[in-house]
Amino acid sequence: MPEVCLSGLSKSFGGVSALDGIDFTIREGEFFTLLGPSGCGKSTTLNCIAGLEQPTAGTITVGGVPFVAGRVNVPPEERNLGMVFQSYALWPHMTVAQNLAVPLSIRKVPRAEKTRLIHEALDKVGLAHLTKRYPHELSGGQQQRVALARALVYSPSVLLLDEPLSNLDAKLREQARAWLKRLQADLGITTVYVTHDQDEALALSDRIAVMFDGRTVQIGTPAEIYEKPATAGVAAFVGSCNFLTGQVVGRRGGHVRVRLRDTGGEVLAAAPEGFPEGRDVTVAVRPERLRITPPVDGTPDGNALDAEILTRSYVGSRYEYDLTLGENVIKVVSQDGSLTGRARLAFDPADVLVYADVALPQAA
Amino acid sequence: MTSPMTDLSVRGTVTAPRYRRVLGVGRSRVLQYVVLAAAALFVVAPIAPILYQSLVDRPLYEAGGVFTVANYTKLFTEAGFGQVIVNTALLAVMTTVLTLLIAVPMAILVVRTRLPFGRVLGLSMQWPFYISSLILGFGWITMYGPAGFVSVEVRELIGFVPWNLYSLPGMAMTEAVALAPVAYVFCANVLRQSDAALESAAQVCGAKPLRILFTVVLPMLRPPIVYATILTLSASIESLSVPLLYGTPADIKVFATFLYSNGLESVRPDYGVLGAASMIILVVTVAMVVAQARVLKKAQRFISVRGKASRPRRLELRWAGWIGAVAITLYVIFGAAIPILGLVFRSFTLIFTPLQNPLRTLTLGNYAEIFAFDDYTRSITNSLVVAAVGAVAVSVFALVAVIVARRSTFRFRRAVEYLALAPQAIPGIIVGIGFFWAFALIGSGGVLGPLLQGTLLAVIIVFGFTVLPTAFSSIASSITQIGAELDNAARTSGADWLGTFLRILWRLLIPAFVGALILSFVSILKGYSAALFVSSANSEVIGTTVLVLWTEGETGAVAALATLQIAITAVVVAVASRFMKGHASA
Repeated sequence: MPEVCLSGLSKSFGGVSALDGIDFTIREGEFFTLLGPSGCGKSTTLNCIAGLEQPTAGTITVGGVPFVAGRVNVPPEERNLGMVFQSYALWPHMTVAQNLAVPLSIRKVPRAEKTRLIHEALDKVGLAHLTKRYPHELSGGQQQRVALARALVYSPSVLLLDEPLSNLDAKLREQARAWLKRLQADLGITTVYVTHDQDEALALSDRIAVMFDGRTVQIGTPAEIYEKPATAGVAAFVGSCNFLTGQVVGRRGGHVRVRLRDTGGEVLAAAPEGFPEGRDVTVAVRPERLRITPPVDGTPDGNALDAEILTRSYVGSRYEYDLTLGENVIKVVSQDGSLTGRARLAFDPADVLVYADVALPQAA
Repeated sequence: MTSPMTDLSVRGTVTAPRYRRVLGVGRSRVLQYVVLAAAALFVVAPIAPILYQSLVDRPLYEAGGVFTVANYTKLFTEAGFGQVIVNTALLAVMTTVLTLLIAVPMAILVVRTRLPFGRVLGLSMQWPFYISSLILGFGWITMYGPAGFVSVEVRELIGFVPWNLYSLPGMAMTEAVALAPVAYVFCANVLRQSDAALESAAQVCGAKPLRILFTVVLPMLRPPIVYATILTLSASIESLSVPLLYGTPADIKVFATFLYSNGLESVRPDYGVLGAASMIILVVTVAMVVAQARVLKKAQRFISVRGKASRPRRLELRWAGWIGAVAITLYVIFGAAIPILGLVFRSFTLIFTPLQNPLRTLTLGNYAEIFAFDDYTRSITNSLVVAAVGAVAVSVFALVAVIVARRSTFRFRRAVEYLALAPQAIPGIIVGIGFFWAFALIGSGGVLGPLLQGTLLAVIIVFGFTVLPTAFSSIASSITQIGAELDNAARTSGADWLGTFLRILWRLLIPAFVGALILSFVSILKGYSAALFVSSANSEVIGTTVLVLWTEGETGAVAALATLQIAITAVVVAVASRFMKGHASA
């Protein structure tokens, strides 16, 4: 299984830049996800890898072979990649078996071998009994698996998946996710996956590239992306997050003290170098890292901010609180559903993220 | 290029596909260039000779031509061209106003209000698909002409005929009846696509139905009305049949009849003047089509896109609705049904006048006359051959052109689209003149002459030219319903652009292809003006033969031949739509 290298990949549509210098290397056998809001360029990136779109600049190399480099541009049909489309793109006038036979016929595979490969591929996705069905006679989940079988039947070098689960309903999507993960691990095929669904990305990927506005903002394992988002934007997009603006007023060891602009309260945060005193910053805390306690006197360990509970909603496995802190609304997740009125927010300095920019990101 | 893929794709027995390239160009690209070149050649073929002829001092196939603008000055100083321009403009304006007065209210009534028999009335707007304006003109003369059935009846009743068909208003009325369905369809489509909630909103605000029509529905129609205006203007500028039929006895000349009489009827046609006049019309019609395209682009921005399919609520008009229904019925009956049925009836009688009971002279003699002469029967078989061969050829070319224009990364794909649509800017009679000269040029020095001059092939080429935009648009609109991801899936699976079409796409495009086939067949069968110049005694088609019979005063035979043409069209459409239905359910 080859590795996929993108370097300096840019694409503009009539002067509007869609991709702006994308660089990353996908390792052999890796499940690599491009995650981002719609319009961030993730599908364009995938289409450039597939050869369906031509980048304006940059190179794409798969297994050491240049697909796009200078004047070289290998057409999609000669790249030998497998691709599953959002709409599945099963050819409606062909049966399942005929759909799978097309790439094999193109490759002039002998008849007996063809039958064997089709059976094998369908077996992998658990649909060997449906060879004679037409696409419209299949459920959405089955269509999705046939599309996957069609992309795998000719043993492509890389598997490209363009939001393949987005057309399934929620329950089925979760099943398909687990199943896809297993299949990919079994085959060990290098996989590039495009999604705007952060849960999908976190659950499936070995590594994730988060994209905004045609750039990769952060590349890392799901844990890195979630625990240490590189920017406030990533923190807002992957999972949900509370943001407060303030100013650095002190530094001690690996920690900074931030005075909140809104309430004047202070927050202690574990932060790397680079946040000198007087610097305007945004601090971010995930809702599940906040604890709500009744207001008590005295100074606790870590951080404590006094707030007022605004609403409480029961969402099944937990309670979600909205609290007002000055002008801000803070989201908190808790198992305790009995809290009302004034409350104290407590959290560890290690759970506070600090960002140099002061613009509050909008969660997509 | 070499394929470096082999090292990573040889796994098991499956290897990555490789495609041969000659000088770095694959077979797909070659085909795309061929289509571009063919389309360009096709469009230039009739235009270039006209331009050239308008600027030289002698017939273009004669050697030693000198460039000059004398043809243009001659055109404007002599030949009564000033009057022709005035007539053409008057006719175009009158036709357009009348067309809009018929079409716009009708579209609103049928689509947006609860009209008695609304569906039937809407469907009856399809009649021009079967009937050419030439035949409609014959029908009108048969009924409303100076000696027409209705005219005579009216004179019997009140002592005089309160109208004169052989006049500019008479032409405009007939043209408007023929063009109204086109304008109607365009307005109706826009109305169907617009959001009915807009009207519901006005209703909730307390507006009464009539008020809603004037404050909400009509303003929304502004873009299609502008579009329909341009469409009708350009159609009436290039129309030949009605001005030819009505204008000849009254000596009223417009652009198209000017070309007709100067090019075909005069003993020694002045080719230079003919070329200059053609160029001027060409410039006008091209400008119209460009304007049309602009408006259409804007019109699409006006269309209110709705997220979910909502069943349009129709306004309840009560008495006003009945008035509307009666008005539309009158239009259909007096505009189309009576003239056409009259023409059909005429074909079975010897003398057709209310002064004598026509049933007493019932006869098949008119048909016998047609079948007695080889020239006439041959025109029928010629028409069928031309329509069949032309439809297949044009549809095949249109299909390939659509695939290049809409489903490729070919650098000149837009050019292919514009070229394929270009013929709609060129009036049929000018297509005929242009190809006539092109064939003369080609034939004057080579072996191609006997192949192209006055042959059926020539007729097929000119008709193919005129219906190419129709076939192209019809396939292009269907192909948008086939998701581009199906192509992409084939490409990533290893099919090149041509392979994608040969393995996957063609099968999905069969319904669109058959649709284009029927459309082109019927359009060619109806057409005649483009064939006037290129056909000879052996390659006459129904339309041209009918015109000849008309000038000879054989009105019975005209009626019979016209009836046959309508019947053939109806049968073809009926059979084809049956096939289409069966195909869709299979």
